[in-house]
This record gives sequence, structure tokens and C-alpha cells, in this order.
Amino acid sequence: MADEHVIQVRDAGIRFRLNRRSRRNFKDLFAGRKRRARADEFWALRNVNFDVTAGEAIGVVGRNGQGKSTLLKLVAEVMLADEGTVSVGQGVAPLIEITGGFVDDLSVRDNVFLTAGLHGMTKKEISERFDEIIEFAEIGRFIDTPYKHLSSGMKVRIAFAVISRLEEPIILVDEVLAVGDKAFREKCYRRIEELLQGGRTLFFVSHNERDLRRFCSRGLYLDKGELVLDGPINDVLARYNADYGS
Amino acid sequence: MPTFHHLPAYYRGVANTALERPKWSPLTRYRRTLWLLTVRDLRVRYSTSALGYVWSILDPLVMAGIYWFVFTQVFERSVGEEPYIVFLLAALLPWMWFNGAVSDATRAYLREAKLIRSTKIPRTIWVARLVLSKGIEFIASLPVLAAFAIATGAVLHWEAVYFLLGVALQALLTIGVGLIVAPLVVFFRDLERATKLALRFLFYASPIIYGIPDLEKLGVDQLAAFNPLAGIFSLYRAAFFPDQLDWYAVAVGALMSAILVGIGVLVFSRTERAVLKEI
Repeated sequence: MADEHVIQVRDAGIRFRLNRRSRRNFKDLFAGRKRRARADEFWALRNVNFDVTAGEAIGVVGRNGQGKSTLLKLVAEVMLADEGTVSVGQGVAPLIEITGGFVDDLSVRDNVFLTAGLHGMTKKEISERFDEIIEFAEIGRFIDTPYKHLSSGMKVRIAFAVISRLEEPIILVDEVLAVGDKAFREKCYRRIEELLQGGRTLFFVSHNERDLRRFCSRGLYLDKGELVLDGPINDVLARYNADYGS
Repeated sequence: MPTFHHLPAYYRGVANTALERPKWSPLTRYRRTLWLLTVRDLRVRYSTSALGYVWSILDPLVMAGIYWFVFTQVFERSVGEEPYIVFLLAALLPWMWFNGAVSDATRAYLREAKLIRSTKIPRTIWVARLVLSKGIEFIASLPVLAAFAIATGAVLHWEAVYFLLGVALQALLTIGVGLIVAPLVVFFRDLERATKLALRFLFYASPIIYGIPDLEKLGVDQLAAFNPLAGIFSLYRAAFFPDQLDWYAVAVGALMSAILVGIGVLVFSRTERAVLKEI
């Protein structure tokens, strides 16, 4: 049973400093990570436990600043928990700050190969998908244009096209799709649905109830850094609405 | 807390059709990523500058020219060996590698913050890739040394094989220092300037414009050996000036490099979590 879980989160907690400018000293840095939070720190997430089975589509619900994005980053392993463990058994395609790996001075073509390569794809795999990626992003004319000369919409489009083509079994989506025009957003959503039908595992952070219901069957409701409810998405949304009456 | 045991069958049973990809060992993945980032750096540099490769030669060339002029034409030089330009370049080129990698390490995380926040890449790569790309530039600048050696008729000795040992030790040392500097700068921005200052001091404190035998006259050569660069540079210089080779300095330098790598790994692993939150 246990090996079916592609993501296992056990007693995970992560703390941040309240006051970024407050002084840090060497003692702080090297203090053990098990120590208790100091007065100027708070736990963005604590005692979070859940398992994810391959193929599940999970929506993360909560108000702003309740730890949704942080949870996603822990699953993407671009942040590390201060206590507990987060183990991810399969490859992850993170749609988090998707334009992050792109380099201004390189052409779109070079950037596609670079970003996909950094996520672990071989040259051959990228070449096979290259035309499809460019077509999806609708920027066929700009393949050899330096990335910095693209419009911001085009940048997001090419980034989404690359990351969503990574063939990783787990996909993380963090409200990136709020950008771009309506037609492209719909296209992205259809791509996500295709991936879901292909059996991918989805982790989806959004404030949009319609989107959450569209993709997700299970919901995680985070409030004040704790996992308050883990259940079918409709129950989770009902509870969220009851608490905050939106 | 309610758990979620009863998943509807329609998505519990779906096979995962994500493409089966070759599973690389972590080491292969590391190497590939390191190479991709290094090639990216070189490509960016050459696509944005008209002179490209010439820059990596021009910098040491101008420096060597200045020191050669000052120490052979203006002052009566009492240090080093003949031909002085070869003596100088044999240590100046590797110094450029160390200097470039360490001063870039101060921005290793800050410059790549966006990528680090969005992509899971082993975090030591951000230091290792600087050492590698500056190391490649160092190798690429060696023809300058060769050209001057030929022009001045310097004799190449069999001790040139120690060159490889020098490269290995220096790579080790530079990674160690980089692993200490890179994470700490994230918390203490002042350290960036402090590092620059320390590097400038180290330039004159290391046997670059002079040699270890010149320090013997002052009686500080035993002390100077604790600067790992002293032993490393003596290995490089042995190719043309076997007298410069100082095994005591090499041994102490190797030990110091190993200690610095140890400290670097410790600093890096203890600060990794905090660095990821801070950037």
C-alpha cells in the first residue's frame, strides 16, 4: 500500500522569519533545525500529514498567506521542511514561476532546450517535442528571437508549453494561469485535462472555485498553517465557504 | 482530522501513462545539469560580446603586461626568475581562475534566485558550475602562457606533469571556499565587499609576482605555506622553474584545502534550508 503513494508528507513544518531585516547571527544559522521557533518567527506550515496516490487531482484551498504556495514548494522540493519529511517518489513538473529558468539573452530555441534539459530531458526527447511546444505556444515566428524581446504573454506561453511537456508524472500548478489571455488560458486548461486523463498526478493551487471543481476531486484546506480538512473537493470548498463566507 | 481513504475508483485505478523515461543515476543527472549550466554561461557570454574568447585572454594579458612593465622596466626587480613574464603568467592565470570563481560565488545564489526557486537542482551545482566555467576559461587561456614560453625560450621540464595535480588541488580549494562564501553572502550582504577586499589582499599575499624562495629570504615561507595557493602555484611553476617547487607548501596547502572543503560542506549543509527561504 505504502509504495503506491507518490507523495508522502509526514508532520511537515516550515517556519519563516517575521521581520526580514532583523539581524541574523552566526549562532542562528548553525543552530539545529529542531529547535523551537523564536519570537520573531512563525510556522507557515506545521503538522501537515497527507498521502497522495498516483493519478489523484488535488486542489489546495485557503486564504492568502495560509501556506498554499509554501506547500507546493515543499512538494516541488525547492524548499525544505524544517521538521517532518516530504518525500516525493516521482518526477515533478512544477508550474511555479515557470519563466524562472529562461535566460534573456538566449534565443527561444536555446531556452527551450536549456529549460527542458535542466528538468532532466535529453536532447533527443526535446527535439521530438520541439515543434509541438512551439506550436502550442503560438510563437513559430520567434524561434530565433532573443527571449527578452518577447512580449510578457509570449514568455508565459512558451514557458507553459515547455514545462507542461516535461512528461513528468506529477504536475504542480500555482496560479500561473492567471496570466495570459482568455483563449490561451482555456488552452492551458485543456492541456492540464489531457494530462490528467493520461494519469498524471495534479497539485493545483487556486482561488477560483470553478477551476478547482473542474480539475480536482480531492481538496486540502489550509488555514493558519495547518491542514484543516482533507476530503472530496466539494466538501472542502463548502467548509471553506462556511468559514470565510465568500 | 478527516482522512481521505475512500477515493472514487475512476481516478484511483488510472494507469500512469506518463512516458517512461530513462532513470538517470543522481550522479549522471548532476553531471548533465552542471554541463548544461556551464554551456549556458559560455553561450551567453559569447552571444552578448563581440570579442568573445578574446576577453578571457585579454584580461590576464593586460595584467601581465602591467606587472612586467612595472617590475622589469620601472623597478630593479630582485624577485622571481627569468623569463619573468613566463614566471608571472604561470601563477597569474590560475590566480584569475581562483579570483573569478570566488568573486562570482558571492552572487552564486542571488543571481540565479529565480531558477533556484522554480527548479529542483542539487544546490551545490551553483558553486560547482562557477568553478568549472572559470576553470575552462583558465585552460583556454593557457595558449597565452605557451606563446610567451616559446617566444622567450623558456625550457619546459618534466615537472610539467605536476600541472594536473595543481589543477586538481585548486579545483578542490575553490569549491571549498565557494561553498563557504556563497551561502553566507545571502545572509550577510557585506560579505560580498569583504570578499573582494580579501581577494585583493590575497593577490599580494600569494606568490604571484614573487616566488616562495623570495619569502625564504624574509623567513616567512613556513607561514606563507598555510595559504594553499602558495603550494598550488609552486606546482604550476615547476613546469618551467623546478626550483620553485616546494613540497612542504604543497602538503600544507593540500591539508588546508581539505579543511576548507570540510568547512564548506558543513556551512553549506547547515544553511541550505535558510538560503532557500531567503532568496
